[in-house]
Amino acid sequence: MYFNANDVTSFMAQKEFIDTAIIPLVAIDLTNEKMKQSGAEADFLLSLTAFIEQQFKGRLLVMPPFSYSTTLKDEAMPAQLAAQLHNAGFKHVFFITCDHFWTNSGDEVNVIWLPAIPLESMDKGVKNSILEDQLRQVIPVFSTKWAQI
Amino acid sequence: MSNNRVSRRQFLSYTLTGVGGFMAAGMLMPMVRFALDPVLQKHAGGDFVLTEQKIADITEEPIKVDFTFEQVDAWYKSDVTNAAWVYKSGDEIIALSPVCKHLGCTVNWAGDTAHPDQFFCPCHAGRYEKNGKNIAGTPPLGPLDEFEVQEKDGYLMIGPSRANTLV
Repeated sequence: MYFNANDVTSFMAQKEFIDTAIIPLVAIDLTNEKMKQSGAEADFLLSLTAFIEQQFKGRLLVMPPFSYSTTLKDEAMPAQLAAQLHNAGFKHVFFITCDHFWTNSGDEVNVIWLPAIPLESMDKGVKNSILEDQLRQVIPVFSTKWAQI
Repeated sequence: MSNNRVSRRQFLSYTLTGVGGFMAAGMLMPMVRFALDPVLQKHAGGDFVLTEQKIADITEEPIKVDFTFEQVDAWYKSDVTNAAWVYKSGDEIIALSPVCKHLGCTVNWAGDTAHPDQFFCPCHAGRYEKNGKNIAGTPPLGPLDEFEVQEKDGYLMIGPSRANTLV
């Protein structure tokens, strides 16, 4: 499900089934050397979350990406956001990112870090199989968390 | 010749009938067109999409076949890749939609090791039999949708989806 009126309506109606929120954290680096890399990361991350959404539509709500530039990065942000999402009724909150910064943010928030794969030069078939591979990396993270209840 | 002469009365009545007929036709034609139009309309999205799957390679074991079509969403055109679970049942080819009838996740064949001959939805452990029938006691309330299939030069074509006809 996406964060739009239709999907939020079904979330409200089916809260016991849709218990997971997933938030992409997108770094926007505007320095000359890193800007292209940053764009590739954002592209990869959003393609991957769209693919995750397609596979697990009935169980998770994909939030709009939280983007930040280098100076706006706030270490406390994920924990606060996770707390608010828990209050809103989500049992599981996952952050998904290509930014190394969040990997050491401790155990209280679930951060899935993935290396960005530049998708821009690939044709569609290759792109899909790469995303499928990446999805296979992510699925165990979800299923172990889901199995814990 | 003389007994075939057209009288003024006859001439007028023929002319009036002809003109009246044209006028009546001019009024009726659009009405008939309107009435028939829904039947003549080509159904958008009802076209068959050619896949890269050879018919000969399809077995009794369901395999995932991807197919891509163009979707227009207001001004935004995109290629949408969809998938189907395809298998052979006797001589017939069955293509089932992978979209779970519960909340729309993607189901997998033999996704659950405890039930290797069933479709499994990872979201809420919904299960379906091979023909798409939902298994009672699991969350889904209806059977998986089915795609119409066609063959073209030995390759599989996938058409519009419809309610499951196998259950």
